[in-house]
Amino acid sequence: MCDINKEKVFAAISTVIDPEVGFNLVEMGLIYDAIIDDACNVHVIMTLSTQGCPLHQMIKQWVYEAVEKLDGVGTIEVEVVWEPAWNISMADDNVKKALGGM
Amino acid sequence: MNPISRDFAPPLKLIAPFFHFGVIFYLLSMLALLFFEPTFSYQQMDVAGWIHLFLLGFVMMIIFGAMAQLIPVVLEVGHVVVDVYYVILPLLALGAVVMVFGFWMMPALLPYGGLLVLIAMIIFAFENIATLKKTELKTLTVETVAWSNGYLLLGILTGFAIALGLSGDLGIDVSLMLKAHVYAVLGGYVVLTIMGLSLTLIPMFSLAHGFDETAVKRAFKLVISSVAVVFAGAVLGFEWLMMLGYALSFAGIFFYMWQIYIIAKLTVRKELDVWAKSIIFAFVTLILSIILSILYFITDIESVLHASIWFLLLGFVSFFIIGHLYKIVPFLVWFERFAPLVGKEKVPMLHEMYSKEGASIMFWFTSAGVLLGGFGLLFESNILFKAAGSFLFTGAIFLYITMRKMLAYGE
Repeated sequence: MCDINKEKVFAAISTVIDPEVGFNLVEMGLIYDAIIDDACNVHVIMTLSTQGCPLHQMIKQWVYEAVEKLDGVGTIEVEVVWEPAWNISMADDNVKKALGGM
Repeated sequence: MNPISRDFAPPLKLIAPFFHFGVIFYLLSMLALLFFEPTFSYQQMDVAGWIHLFLLGFVMMIIFGAMAQLIPVVLEVGHVVVDVYYVILPLLALGAVVMVFGFWMMPALLPYGGLLVLIAMIIFAFENIATLKKTELKTLTVETVAWSNGYLLLGILTGFAIALGLSGDLGIDVSLMLKAHVYAVLGGYVVLTIMGLSLTLIPMFSLAHGFDETAVKRAFKLVISSVAVVFAGAVLGFEWLMMLGYALSFAGIFFYMWQIYIIAKLTVRKELDVWAKSIIFAFVTLILSIILSILYFITDIESVLHASIWFLLLGFVSFFIIGHLYKIVPFLVWFERFAPLVGKEKVPMLHEMYSKEGASIMFWFTSAGVLLGGFGLLFESNILFKAAGSFLFTGAIFLYITMRKMLAYGE
């Protein structure tokens, strides 16, 4: 039985910080979902704040490495999607406040 | 999972010298301004020398370095031969220096400097065109990159013809060719490139999303057409055709400004860092430049045209570039020196990689200098213009210091 759950995956990914804005990917609202099956294989569905982001590949890699640190994790897939497009309403209040959005 | 893809990203050691030399040329341009008077003619060789020091040494140098980094981001493919940038830099730097000395001291040097610049730009344009052919993307920005490179080639060829004309090696009408050259390089390459980059960079750094692009599509079409029309009018000697081209340019710039307004309304990030302040100042000076150019067409007063061009070059173009240096350079340094350490040790945030105080001093001195210089030219006031030179040179020193520190961060 797999003891990895969505909360653990999100907690692991929250160690990944966007160097431009200074917030982690989870509080930015960039991580849409994490699907974990019985064999502890993890499928992360995420987006980026901009499609032309030059850090695209690196951020995917960092998410992969963060999830890889979870004990007992199986295969990991990180999928970047553009629908729904990210917007500031998806971010936590502290991010909105710090960026001046509220 | 595949290892990190760094294939598209040119190494820092290739790009950093473009920014380093570009800022040195900017510093020299601002120093040289101290020796100019606010009354002049564009036919003066010393003025032409200063314009080439500024445009080739600073504007083109930085744009070329930035394009080495941004072309793969915009086109989503790697450069065909990224190593050509190692050749472009010395050719462009040396060509700019030889041309400036040609204008200032020895016109016979002009074709030699012109030839070096011509080779540098042909290599740059052909490498870009070859890279463009690799991409399957058909976005507006991609199309703009293609057009701007075409105009760059036209601009540099006319420039080389002028260099031959001035040195007495070619019998051409220099004044007609000059208008074609200025419009192809400034309107066709610099302005079009900045418009294209705006659409990628401004939403990226301001976190603006979901905006309609109709206005900028119209802007691109109008500016692309206007450059072709003015170029044809200048080469054929048809004044009416050039006036039609100018009108198309105004319409294009109007739609561009409208697009920027749409993006600004959707901007999430409200903090006023040096990038945001520079971009705001750049657009304020663009508006000033447009108002003055319209005024020039009504009044035909030469000083109004000088002030308009000043605000366009030292205000809009300079601040657009300088503002983005404080975003792009930290990113490049971070990507090279700190990205591999993510998850292993604490890494700095991008905004921690430059001195906020130094950048702020740079901004206030430079913006004050731009305003003083513009009004100095408008009212032909020597005191205002000299004060502007001092402010701009001081601002340039702070730009140079902050840039050096950014490039050396974490070395």
